[in-house]
Amino acid sequence: MDYLYDGSFEGFLCCVFGHYYGERAEGIFPAARYQGDLLRAHSIVETDGEKAARVYAAIENKISKNDMKRIYTVFCSSVPDKETALLRYIRLGFREGSKIRLLHGNPVVFAVQRIEQAVVKEVHRMCGLLRFSEVRPVAGSAGRAILRAPMAPDHDIVEFLAPHFCDRFKNEALIIHDVRRGKALVSAAGEWYITDFRDAGALAETGEELQYRKLWREYFDAIAIRERSNPACQRRFMPARYWKNITEMLR
Amino acid sequence: MDGAIFEKLKILSDGAKYDVSCATSGVDRTNMGRVGNACAAGICHSWTADGRCVSLLKVLLTNRCVYDCKYCVNRRSADTRRAAFEPHELAELVMEFYRRNYIEGLFLSSAVEVSPDDTAEKICRCLHLLREEHLFAGYIHAKIIPGVSPELLTRIGMAADRLSVNVELPSEESLRLLAPQKKPGGVFGPMKRISQTLAEQKTLKGPGFMDRLKPMGADMTAGDGCPADLVRSQNPVAAPRGRYRERFAPGGQSTQMIIGASPESDRQIIKTSESLYRIFRLKRVYFSAYIPVSDAPELPARFSPPPLLREHRLYQADWLLRFYGFAADEILDEAHPFLDADLDPKTGWALRHIERFPVEINKAPPELLLRVPGIGSVSALRIARQRRIAAVKYDDLKKMGVVLKRARFFITCSGKYYGGKGPDPVYIKNLLLQPADIRNSLTERKESPQISMFDGGFPLAGAPFAPAAPAGHAAPDMRNAPVAPAAPSLAAPLAPAPAERTSPDMPDAFAAPADAPCPPKRRNGG
Repeated sequence: MDYLYDGSFEGFLCCVFGHYYGERAEGIFPAARYQGDLLRAHSIVETDGEKAARVYAAIENKISKNDMKRIYTVFCSSVPDKETALLRYIRLGFREGSKIRLLHGNPVVFAVQRIEQAVVKEVHRMCGLLRFSEVRPVAGSAGRAILRAPMAPDHDIVEFLAPHFCDRFKNEALIIHDVRRGKALVSAAGEWYITDFRDAGALAETGEELQYRKLWREYFDAIAIRERSNPACQRRFMPARYWKNITEMLR
Repeated sequence: MDGAIFEKLKILSDGAKYDVSCATSGVDRTNMGRVGNACAAGICHSWTADGRCVSLLKVLLTNRCVYDCKYCVNRRSADTRRAAFEPHELAELVMEFYRRNYIEGLFLSSAVEVSPDDTAEKICRCLHLLREEHLFAGYIHAKIIPGVSPELLTRIGMAADRLSVNVELPSEESLRLLAPQKKPGGVFGPMKRISQTLAEQKTLKGPGFMDRLKPMGADMTAGDGCPADLVRSQNPVAAPRGRYRERFAPGGQSTQMIIGASPESDRQIIKTSESLYRIFRLKRVYFSAYIPVSDAPELPARFSPPPLLREHRLYQADWLLRFYGFAADEILDEAHPFLDADLDPKTGWALRHIERFPVEINKAPPELLLRVPGIGSVSALRIARQRRIAAVKYDDLKKMGVVLKRARFFITCSGKYYGGKGPDPVYIKNLLLQPADIRNSLTERKESPQISMFDGGFPLAGAPFAPAAPAGHAAPDMRNAPVAPAAPSLAAPLAPAPAERTSPDMPDAFAAPADAPCPPKRRNGG
């Protein structure tokens, strides 16, 4: 039996609930991206907050809080089949308890650990690679300047960036815009929320902004040592797919 | 914005780019209503075309210098454009770059315009402007000019997160020869004072795992003309009893040495680093491959390529010192003063001490696991953790992050050996350097030539595989050619010793130029 859910984390937890209290799940998939299988039946799981809360509490108590965090991190990745990998992990976790973290050699744990690492790595990378621009609303340009950063990360990490950037720029108004997923983190005075966000056309760069971009590019070029030139190394650390949102790589 | 700032930034960052340190780690600070914070892991913000990371705005306050150090781009006699930042200009630049997330903070160095104290005072004023007027709470790395007075040092330390005094050259003779105005005392005096201040406030952390892992073989010895010998007392700086006082340079201190500008051996460099780590408990010693900037006869010729591979191997050795419990004398002894260009120092050590291998993964103590090539500190920890629950199988090792390509020759897993013929150094070395692994080899290697009937006897004019030496390389320059195999007997079939290379009647097939422009695989910037 394949369980289909609505794409939310609660929906996923309800599928796990269904696996234990209904028919065994062979796979869990988001309903929007499910390709039917002739040999397997599927059923759509209704998202139910109560069931989700029960599974959530069970994972925290019977496995560990850290593993709950790990499961959520993996859920935020865009790896296909992450739900099925997580289901296997949760099943193993209910058997092994908190020592599941130590089973690095187990293929179930290994798969989840690898995805988690990829997400955590991208979060750290994005802490450095995000570039803010000073913008003002086009209408009524007298307002307060806002810092806006577009990004197109591989995984859905905008939420993980919040603690770092909202603390760092506590006295600024921020928008971190995930262009690929059409959502944004909006923050001011250290408080933040995540919202759907598509059109950034109402915001325009300030004149100073363009000057500072130019200055930064100038610095970036001056600091490279020509005799040590090693573009392959540069790309390894700063993959080309991120360049379209990195000020100094846009020429 | 003033147009002149473009010019200034260009000149003053160009002068600072040879300073290696770009670390932003070691300080965790949340935002208490100021601007910015600091993250203990450090954050890199960009990577330049040379693959080095950019995390700090690295600039000089001025490049007008009264010193005439021969290796330096900013020396008095050099014909470059000069400029100086006004403190408020620089502070605004830092704030604007910081809020756009271009940088993690400021790295401020300076040429000596009048005297060390005068320069230090300007640096100090600039840092206080940032911290107190602009309420900047990001990372600041300040360079300490040798010979600075203790009061100014303390004031800079209270504003900065990390301090560094550059040793620049690994021996006193070289310092005298190339930087006559700098005195060893001027370097080590401030260095010691920083460590003592840190010790007094109980925040002297020291490098890596050096305290936990005691070297197995020889302990550190002085000698070899290490400049650290010049410091009167060889006793490591230790924390006195007392309570915590204030926050002076919470990120500790680091230093830098130029590689390839002076004739020191790798062994001397590594031993100097070790004594700096043990006596002053520095966080890091950075190495900077010398890039020829002057025509001074004491220095490598202009346009000779920087010894990047040598720098890379030295960094590997530095990691062995800090995180793997090696002593400098174990990595290189008197018979082997240079690191092997073909093999990393850990594999080199393992091949020289093959009698200690193979080690049993499921029984060996963690210190011994750390010594196996291909096992790092993370995988050693994972092995130690997992084998408490169940025996570690060979197939598990790869999943734990062990590099089996190297490790398989040096381990047994539940009694079984997976390395083929057995722990024989020549056999292992040949396998590790197989052509299939050229991608992972840092030295350039030619296809093996067809055996010639005339081998050795005739100097073949225009032999197809005798590479023409590049112009800058005509003179055999030992300083730029660190290919001195650690174990000549092992290395003989693969890399002839440099002395042989220059002999005219040897077809030069294998003498791959050690300084060929093949970049280090991974440069750790932070």
